[in-house]
Parts: sequence; C-alpha cells; structure tokens
Amino acid sequence: IVQYLTSNVGARLSQIYLWQGSHTFLQKHLNTSVFYSYLGVPSDEEQATGLERKTLEAMKKGQDPYSILKPKGYAGTREDPHIVPSINKKRLVGCICEEDNSAVIWFWLHAGESQRCPSCGAHYKLVHHDVPH
Amino acid sequence: MAHQTHAYHMVDPSPWPLTGAAAALLMTSGLAMWFHYNSMLLLTLGLLIMLLTMFQWWRDIVREGTFQGHHTPPVQKGLRYGMILFITSEVFFFIGFFWAFYHSSLAPTPELGGYWPPTGITPLNPFEVPLLNTAVLLASGVTVTWAHHGLMETNRSQTIQALTLTILLGLYFTALQTMEYYEAPFTIADSVYGSTFFVATGFHGLHVIIGSTFLIVCLLRQIKFHFTSTHHFGFEAAAWYWHFVDVVWLFLYVSIYWWGS
Repeated sequence: IVQYLTSNVGARLSQIYLWQGSHTFLQKHLNTSVFYSYLGVPSDEEQATGLERKTLEAMKKGQDPYSILKPKGYAGTREDPHIVPSINKKRLVGCICEEDNSAVIWFWLHAGESQRCPSCGAHYKLVHHDVPH
Repeated sequence: MAHQTHAYHMVDPSPWPLTGAAAALLMTSGLAMWFHYNSMLLLTLGLLIMLLTMFQWWRDIVREGTFQGHHTPPVQKGLRYGMILFITSEVFFFIGFFWAFYHSSLAPTPELGGYWPPTGITPLNPFEVPLLNTAVLLASGVTVTWAHHGLMETNRSQTIQALTLTILLGLYFTALQTMEYYEAPFTIADSVYGSTFFVATGFHGLHVIIGSTFLIVCLLRQIKFHFTSTHHFGFEAAAWYWHFVDVVWLFLYVSIYWWGS
C-alpha cells in the first residue's frame, strides 16, 4: 500500500510540474504517441506488450500472422484458388463443399501446383507463411 | 521467443486449481465439522486457503494479461464469454431462491394463517431503508457507467473519482443492510418468511460484497495504470457484475420487500 501510494504521489507531483510548464503542449499532444499517462489513460499503442502488441502492430500493417480473422473468401476456381497459408510444406484442408454439409472432405494439400477437392473440385493452393517471431 | 502461430494463450502450469480444490474440500468438510462436532478449524483453514488461492490466481492473470501481453483479441473474447456464462449461472442461482419465495408466498399454508406475510410477522416498511438502498444501488450503476466512459475517453481523474464513488455507494448499501438485519423484528427462524427473506437477501448481500471487492481491485489497477482506453476487460467484467447485483436487488425489492409486505 505504501509503495503504490508513493508512486501515486510521484505521479501527482509530475502532474503539477507538467501542468504549470506546458499546458498547451499537453493539449496538443494528448492521444498521440507522446507519453501523457500522468494526466490521462494510456492507449494500447503505448502500453500493449507481448503477443497482444505483435497482433496489434501486424493489424496496423494489414497483416494477420496469427490467423485471428476469418480466412478470406476465394472463388475456388483455377484462376482464383483458395489460398491456404502454411508454415510447413503441407497442410490438412477440410472442405465443406456446400454450406451445412456435415461430411467434411479432408485431404493433405502439398506445396506446388494447386490441388482440387476430391468431392466438389474446388481449387486449393498452399502458400508459404513464416513462423511469426 | 514465441513460436506459436495462433493468438490463443496456452497457460503455464499452475498450482492454484489444486489449492482451490483443496480449499473446497476443506470448506465442505469443515461445514460438516462445524455443524456436528463444534469445531471451526477445518472451515477456517478452508476459507483461508480459498482467499489465498483467489488472490494468487487472479494476480497471475493480471500478470499474464497486463504485464506479459497474452490477452490478444481472441483471448479477450473468450474471457467475455466466460464472464457472461458465469453471470448467467448466478442468475439461475437466484432464480432458485425467487422460486422458493413465490412458491411459499403465493399459496400461504394454514400454518402461516393462510396469509402472506404470515400471522405474527411485521415486515419491513419498503418505503424506508429498502427504498434508500434501491436509490443507492441505482446511483452506483450510474457512477460505474460514468467511470467506464471516463476510461474510454482517457479521463484518468474522472475514472478514479467515479469508481471511488461507486465503491463508497456499495459500502453504504452494505452498512445499511447490516443495520437493517440487526434491527429487523423477525429472524431467519421465523417460518418460511424468515428463511426466504434472509437467504435471498443474504446471498444478495454477499454478492454486493464480492462486487465491491472486484471494483476495489479495479480501482487499484486503474491507479497503477493497468487499463488502456481500449483494453480494460477486468473493469468491464466488474461493471457487468455490479449491474447484475443491482438488477437482482430490484427484483428482491419488488418481490420480497414490496409485494411481499
């Protein structure tokens, strides 16, 4: 309790100092990358760490290395095959040929030419995807 | 280096589920010991181990989420589902006690005089302290929402003030109820009226204490900058729980205090 109270005191002292010296500076820089937590609430941008930070940074660049989002919809034709990302040279694919089918068609998809589902003939292509680090 | 290719959290081995189970065993057998053999040793030990388990387990979750960044969006979604399912189970828990109340009060037996409230019971005036308690909890619902908006709008001081006010209102409710319990003209032993009244309001009071504790933890975390303006699920979970406690009180007030008088 003593530790967090004193750290709060430190925050308040800094608050007073910042307030007296640079009121307009803070108003301008609130909610940007400047570390303003003493007067407000931090943002994920400032404070996220670990895997949460990695997913956040990737999303900002339009990437999804941890497969958080639904896979993109492809036509499944020869010209527009389903793109299957894989960290290895092969990956299991489960094709639900028609919506609500309960029999899923499972097959290994290998790197190289696109393969077709043995049941509905949809095209699938394996694409290499690096292990995120 | 993390080499997983998914965004989920595979938790490290932890002793707290085992200590929690041990606490549950000690508390249940301890209750039996207390009832039949006049000993509170096992019960006290069980309660102590339960509190230690809760403190250390939740402390570890804060470490994993806030300090280590394991709470990615899919993980947070799972936590949301978890809290919603838990609150739903609590709703059903209270439904049981309301069922008991309505079963007994809609068709009062001859032993009660065929009336509700039963002959000889002077119920509490619903327009005195119980009405104040209703206002206190409704106000605390407003203040917790105010705190949430403060958090989302990066307003630190308002968040802290509103959250503190919510907690004070919660403690005020508990103090008022404690006084009411002490001053009540009937006891738990006074027929099914006393049983339904004190078991339903008693469990509600316990939930108010739990909710207030959760809010206090959120206040401490907010002071220590754990929450961000977009990621503060611990706070949201506490607020959901607090609203649930408020809603249960409203049902209690209307059914037991008002209609039941």
